[in-house]
Amino acid sequence: MTEQEVNIPVADPNDPYAMPAAMPSSADNERRSFEVDDFKMPTRKQEDWRYTPLERIEEFFNVFTPSGETKVTVSNIDGSPIDGDKVTKSVVDRGESPSGSIMKPNDRVSAVEWNSGTKTVIVSISGELDQPVLVDVEGHGADLDSLHLVLQVADRTHGDIVVRHQGLARLAEGIEIITGKDSHVSTTFVQEWDKGSKHVGNQRIHVGDNASLRHAVVTLGGDVVRLRIDQEFGGPQGDLNMLGIYFAEAGQHLEHRTMVVHNYPECKSRVVYKGALDGKDAHSTWVGNALIKPQAPNTDSYELNRNLVLTPGPVADSEPNLEIENGNIIGAGHASSVGHFDDEELFYLQSRGITESEARKLVVRGFFADLIEQTGVPSIAEHLMNVIDRRLARGESADMQAVLEDK
Amino acid sequence: MSTLEIKDLYASVETKEGRKQILKGATLTVNSGETHAIMGPNGSGKSTLAYTLAGHPKYFVDSGEALLDGKDLLKMTADERAKAGLFLAMQYPVEVPGVSMTNFLRTAKTEVDGKAPAIRTWTKELQDAMKNLRMDKKFASRSVNEGFSGGEKKRAEVLQLELLKPKFAIMDETDSGLDVDALRIVSEGVNRAKENTGLGIMLITHYTRILKYIKPDIVHVFAGGRFVKTGGPELADELEETGYDQYLPEGSTESALA
Repeated sequence: MTEQEVNIPVADPNDPYAMPAAMPSSADNERRSFEVDDFKMPTRKQEDWRYTPLERIEEFFNVFTPSGETKVTVSNIDGSPIDGDKVTKSVVDRGESPSGSIMKPNDRVSAVEWNSGTKTVIVSISGELDQPVLVDVEGHGADLDSLHLVLQVADRTHGDIVVRHQGLARLAEGIEIITGKDSHVSTTFVQEWDKGSKHVGNQRIHVGDNASLRHAVVTLGGDVVRLRIDQEFGGPQGDLNMLGIYFAEAGQHLEHRTMVVHNYPECKSRVVYKGALDGKDAHSTWVGNALIKPQAPNTDSYELNRNLVLTPGPVADSEPNLEIENGNIIGAGHASSVGHFDDEELFYLQSRGITESEARKLVVRGFFADLIEQTGVPSIAEHLMNVIDRRLARGESADMQAVLEDK
Repeated sequence: MSTLEIKDLYASVETKEGRKQILKGATLTVNSGETHAIMGPNGSGKSTLAYTLAGHPKYFVDSGEALLDGKDLLKMTADERAKAGLFLAMQYPVEVPGVSMTNFLRTAKTEVDGKAPAIRTWTKELQDAMKNLRMDKKFASRSVNEGFSGGEKKRAEVLQLELLKPKFAIMDETDSGLDVDALRIVSEGVNRAKENTGLGIMLITHYTRILKYIKPDIVHVFAGGRFVKTGGPELADELEETGYDQYLPEGSTESALA
C-alpha cells in the first residue's frame, strides 16, 4: 500500500465563496459568554437589534437588583397539586448545575439577566405524566425583576409543561430546557401580561438524543415582549417542532427570534410562527435562523412565518435566515409572508349571509386554529381560542371602523 | 311566490386600465319556480351580472335596479342580499383555510335564518344533503373548499344551496369542469332545491349539456352586456347549432371580445 498525500482544504480568506463550508457561520460565531462586558451595548446597527425599539427596553442593558415581584408556582394544569414522584420544583444558586449548563448567554440582555439575581428555579419531570404541568409566572409590579428557570426532562419522559406569564411585570427572564434521551415532551409558553408590562427573555434548549420536543410560544399581552430562543441537538435523530402565535395590538412590540442549530445527523426541525396585527403601530418581528452544520448530514428543516394584518397601521418584520454548510440534506426550506384580509374570502363568506365582522372573525380564527390545535394541550388550546375570540370581539367597534373608513 | 326584477342595469368593473363598463342595460324578471338559462359568448358579461347582483366589491353599479320582492338589492351589503334570499353558486368557489365546512355552514345557516338551527335536525339535514350529493362525511371537517377538486367544489356549492334555501339562485357556470357523473349529481341537487323550495334559477352556461338535466323554462342570449334574445327551450338547441356569432358585433369574434 502506498502512502497518499491528503490535502485538508483551507479556506482562502480573500475568496470565501470558493469553499462555503469552511466559512465561519455568521450566526454561530457570535459571542457566547456569561460576562456582560463581553457584549457591546445594543444599537440598531447590530443585526440582532435592528428591529427592536431599544429605547423602550434600555433598563435591560445593565445589571440590576431584582425586585422579587415575580412569583412562580407549580401545579397540575387543573389546579391540583403535583405528583412529587414525577414532578419537582426546587431552587438552587444561579451558578449551581443544572442552572447555566445549556450553552451560554448569546447577547447582552441574556448576560444581564444571568448576572441580575442569585437563584434559579428548577422544575424537573420524569416518567409518564398524567396531565400537563403548569408553571405559573405571575408579575406583581412594574419594578425590574429577573427570573432564571430550568425545565429539566429526564430520559424517556412523556409529558407536557405549560409556562404561563401573567400579571404586571418588567421581567428579564432566562429559561433553559434540557430534555433527556428518548424523551417526548411539549413545552408551551404563554405570554398574557397586563398592559404596561415588558418581558425580555432568552431560552436555551438542548434536545436530547433521539428525543422529540414540541415547543410552542403564544404571545398576546405585554407592551414590549422580546424572546430569543436558541437550540441545539444532543444527538442524532432529534425532532424539534417550534410553533409560535402572536397577536399584536396598537402600540405593542412583540418580537420572536428562533435559532435552530443542526449539529447532529438526521435531525428534523420545524418552525412555524403565525401572527395577527391590529391597530396603529402594532409591531411584530420574527427572525428565524436555521444553521445546518457540516457534521449534520440528512438534516430535514423547514421554517415558516405568516402575518395577517387586520387594519391599516401595523408593521410586521419577517426574516428567515438559513445557513447550510452540508450539501447532503433532506431539506432546508423557508417561507415568509405578510398579508391583508383576502377580499375574495370575505366576499365568499358574506355571500352566504355572514356579516363582514363575523367573516373577519372566522378568517382570523381559521388562520390560528390549526396551529393552536398543534400545541397538543387541549385545555390550553381552548383557552387560547377564547382569548383570540375576545380580542377579535373587542377590536370590532373602533378598529373595524378604521378599516371601513380607510376604504 | 317571489320575484327578482333586474331593470336596465348598467355596471362596471375596476381593471388595471381603469373602470370598464360591462353591463349595458340588462333587464330580466325571474319568478319563483322558473328556470332561466342565460347563455352567451365569453366576455359578454354573464359573470359580471352574477357578481353585481351578489354584491362583489369589485363591481360598481352605474344605474338601474335589482329588486327582490320589491326590495332594492343594490343598496344592500352582500350578506344582506343573501339574507333577502339571493344565492350565488360561484364558478370558482373560494378556499377559506382553517374554517371548517361544518362551522361555516352552521354560521351561514344561523345568519340567513336569523336563529341557530336546532342541533339534532340540523345534523341530520346536513348528513342527508351530503349523502344525496355523494359527498364523503370527511368533507364536513375539512376547511371550506380547501384542497377540493373542481367537482367537489361544485358539489359543495349545491350543498349550500340546498341547506340555505334561498328564494333565487344564480348558478354561474356550475357545469364547467364537471364530468358526466358529477354533472348529473349536481343537477339533481339543483332540481331537488327547486322542488323543495320553489327556487327561481338563473342558470348561466356556455353549453347546452347541463340543460339536459336542468330543464329551462326560458332561454336567453346574453351578449354585449345585455339580454339580446329570449325564447323557449328550443332556443338552446338553435344556439347549439349556430353558435353565438350572429349576436356578436360585426367584424369581431368571440376570442377578440374575451
